[in-house]
Amino acid sequence: MINDVIAIIQDYWLLLLIGQYPNGPLGGLANTLILSALSIMLAFPVAILLALARLSKWRLLRWPVTALVYITRGVPLLMLILWSYFLVPLWTGADVPSFVTMLTTLVVYQGAFLSEVVRAGIVALGSGQMDAARALGHSSLGAMRFIILPQALYNMIPSIISTFVSTIKDTTLGYVINVPDLTFAASQVNNQLLTQPFQVFLILAVVYYAICWSLTHVANIVERRITRRRAGLSGGAAPVALVPAKIISEQL
Amino acid sequence: MSTSAAWTQQLQTIHLSDVCKSYGDYPVLKNIDAEVARGEVVVICGPSGSGKSTLIRTINRLEEINSGSITLDGQNIHAAMRTRELNLLRSRIGFVFQNFNLFPHLSVVENVAMSPIRVKGVAANVAHEKALKLLDRVGLADKARAYPGQLSGGQQQRVAIARALAMEPPVMLFDEPTSALDPEMVGEVLAVMKSLASEGMTMICVTHEMGFARDVADRIWFIDAGQILETAPPDEFFKTPRHPRAQRFLADLRH
Ligand SMILES: Nc1ncnc2c1ncn2[C@@H]1O[C@H](COP(=O)(O)OP(=O)(O)O)[C@@H](O)[C@H]1O
Ligand SMILES: [Mg+2]
Repeated sequence: MINDVIAIIQDYWLLLLIGQYPNGPLGGLANTLILSALSIMLAFPVAILLALARLSKWRLLRWPVTALVYITRGVPLLMLILWSYFLVPLWTGADVPSFVTMLTTLVVYQGAFLSEVVRAGIVALGSGQMDAARALGHSSLGAMRFIILPQALYNMIPSIISTFVSTIKDTTLGYVINVPDLTFAASQVNNQLLTQPFQVFLILAVVYYAICWSLTHVANIVERRITRRRAGLSGGAAPVALVPAKIISEQL
Repeated sequence: MSTSAAWTQQLQTIHLSDVCKSYGDYPVLKNIDAEVARGEVVVICGPSGSGKSTLIRTINRLEEINSGSITLDGQNIHAAMRTRELNLLRSRIGFVFQNFNLFPHLSVVENVAMSPIRVKGVAANVAHEKALKLLDRVGLADKARAYPGQLSGGQQQRVAIARALAMEPPVMLFDEPTSALDPEMVGEVLAVMKSLASEGMTMICVTHEMGFARDVADRIWFIDAGQILETAPPDEFFKTPRHPRAQRFLADLRH
């Protein structure tokens, strides 16, 4: 069993790592990492913008964005992926690469989820911080940037990381529209071997677990470092950061 | 420094004229007429829920009003204006909250220095130097690198006062600055406020500290159910309150 796994890795490591590249498109683990990183990096600012729009005093901004977030959150991701995959080329006539389709869909979907986390973090701060900022003469955007968001995002680190982790897991769905990622490579390997699906998909599971675990681990270190800095080096009476319950647990 | 000095040199007063405010159908402030002269210390007192916080928050426009006007040195605070202009106006009115509202993610010195840097564009090293001086003045120079969560309530409130002073406001508003404090910390905050008053700062303080009112206030406003029922110098107010509700309020306080 272990020997099978080792043999598979020895024979197919390059395919699992970079797919058909350089004879075909980049795939495998490399593409999974790129897709995950891009999705997270783009979904994060999108989420902040969506959250600010949902908290805006202008209805013209608030209502459409609220509708977008509700609809996106209420629909299975797979359905969104298939819609974008079939409908966008149909409407626009453009030939969109499946990687781009997947990336865009993930950014919108995870951006919507993450925006709820960010919004909850802002609301949980209460009005006192904003009052103080305004009383000192800060503009609302300046207050958001320097006073509200740094606290809200910090308080939400656990929930934000959960969303990042599920973004990584969700990249596997790109398989259905032929995004050449790690899952796609693994299924190619499986098709060639035919007899060892358990071993192949065990490798797949272990790799995804390692990626997600590393991310969580790094996030924990960062969080602990910030907490320690705020508590001072003495480690004495530490300010207890309010960490609201996981709002997005339904997603995991 | 120079701009602030110029400001305090001018004859500045706060005028409230026929100010009305309601939450929905419920009137919180009813036809408030009052004024504060330059260098004057006003203490607002009255029962809980009478509209003290609302009144003081309308003065830097944290709350909007429904009608009437509030002016600072002739400038109408509630006039239609650009948000930039409003922010500038607000930065000239210091505000101290009951719950301190320090920024917990910033160190004490950053709390004090950040607004001059971000709002006024003061150079960072200048703002930090000034912040350290202000912290020294409120007796917290040794806490500059600490974070708010490491300080006692009294220390946090003194930092909050230093933070407001960093904007060099000619007027300071206090909304029950000692109400959230343990009794043994009330004195240190009142001492800072007293020293501010003795330096000629124009101050409006909502407070239940009648000792402070007696010693420091030039004038007491007694407010009940959204109306200023009595304004009088402290010795007059405490010895011979005219309005029956003020008499009852003072009798209740003594129990
Ligand atoms: N945001 C609000 N919405 C509705 N009612 C409010 C609001 N804020 C205060 N009030 C009401 O206005 C009245 C005056 O409140 P406040 O100014 O806080 O009184 P005080 O500071 O004297 O205790 C109270 O009856 C309070 O319930
Ligand atoms: Mg109050």
